[in-house]
Amino acid sequence: MDSHNRDLYLYEALNARVLGVSMDDVITNKFFAKAFWLDFPLVSNPLAWMGKQYGAYSDKKPFLPDGSVNNFGRRTVVVDKRGIVRYIKDGSPDNNEILSLLLKLEKEFRGK
Amino acid sequence: MEKKSAIRLSLGIWVAFFALTGLLLGGCATMAPEKPKIMIPTDRGTVFFLDKYEFKAPVGWSLMRNLEGGDFELGFMKMEPGAFPSQTTFMYDEEPYGSSPNLEGRANQYCTRFLFNSGIMPEVTKREKTRVMGLHALALYFEGENSVQKEKSKSKVYLVKKGNRIISFVCTQWRPLDGQFDIQAFEIFENFVQSFKFLKKTFYENLDEEIQKLKG
Repeated sequence: MDSHNRDLYLYEALNARVLGVSMDDVITNKFFAKAFWLDFPLVSNPLAWMGKQYGAYSDKKPFLPDGSVNNFGRRTVVVDKRGIVRYIKDGSPDNNEILSLLLKLEKEFRGK
Repeated sequence: MEKKSAIRLSLGIWVAFFALTGLLLGGCATMAPEKPKIMIPTDRGTVFFLDKYEFKAPVGWSLMRNLEGGDFELGFMKMEPGAFPSQTTFMYDEEPYGSSPNLEGRANQYCTRFLFNSGIMPEVTKREKTRVMGLHALALYFEGENSVQKEKSKSKVYLVKKGNRIISFVCTQWRPLDGQFDIQAFEIFENFVQSFKFLKKTFYENLDEEIQKLKG
């Protein structure tokens, strides 16, 4: 998360916006954002519909027999200006890869 | 006669098998791509590291490389005499923790997580403005201990403002609670930092240029 925050000026320069999504409630997200000095919005999505739409939430039950909770997996999704998904990657975000893609998309958009 | 020719045939097959294996193995040996040298010594007493950096490498220290992304770009480690954990590590990290683009703000963020997973809550014993590679920098000195694990640490961190980004150099020495810190290791770290040079533009510097061109 702090890596995205570090790169916010670049996302803005490339006309992109960052949105974090978690299943935590609004208050928890507020504390999380404060603890990590996040300057971009975090969406609280306890019913997980967003996670399901973007493939970050598995079809298992919310509470699993081993005592664990079915939570969102770490997934980065880049959606372009027309609403088309242009990038999906699981695990820790690769900021260099994301920024390179955004540069490519911005060049495409500007026709350069 | 038949028996002799069967033996000859069998020997022939074995000879052919070994010759073929030899050829294949020989082929493998010559076809294997040559591994690029990570550090190439220069006549200035420094090394080129992957064509990206130049610095004075410490003699007798082990090189640490981050193969899967994460906490640091490159570093060195030395196991030292004494009980565990007697060792010193130092590293160059191009993405130090935190996100503030100014040195003071970044230092405040950095201090909240430094050595976080060790159970040591190091205190800043000194904080001073300085220059590294001619760039504005902040030197932070930390000391702390974990009385449960019976370990202590002493660190020096440089946060350096490079263009729009902040980079860092970090040295941490670990000792058992009753151990003595070794100042010499920190002098080796200083040589590393003071000799450090960038041989090419970073990803972020190239990206900044591309964005400037795009906005023309």
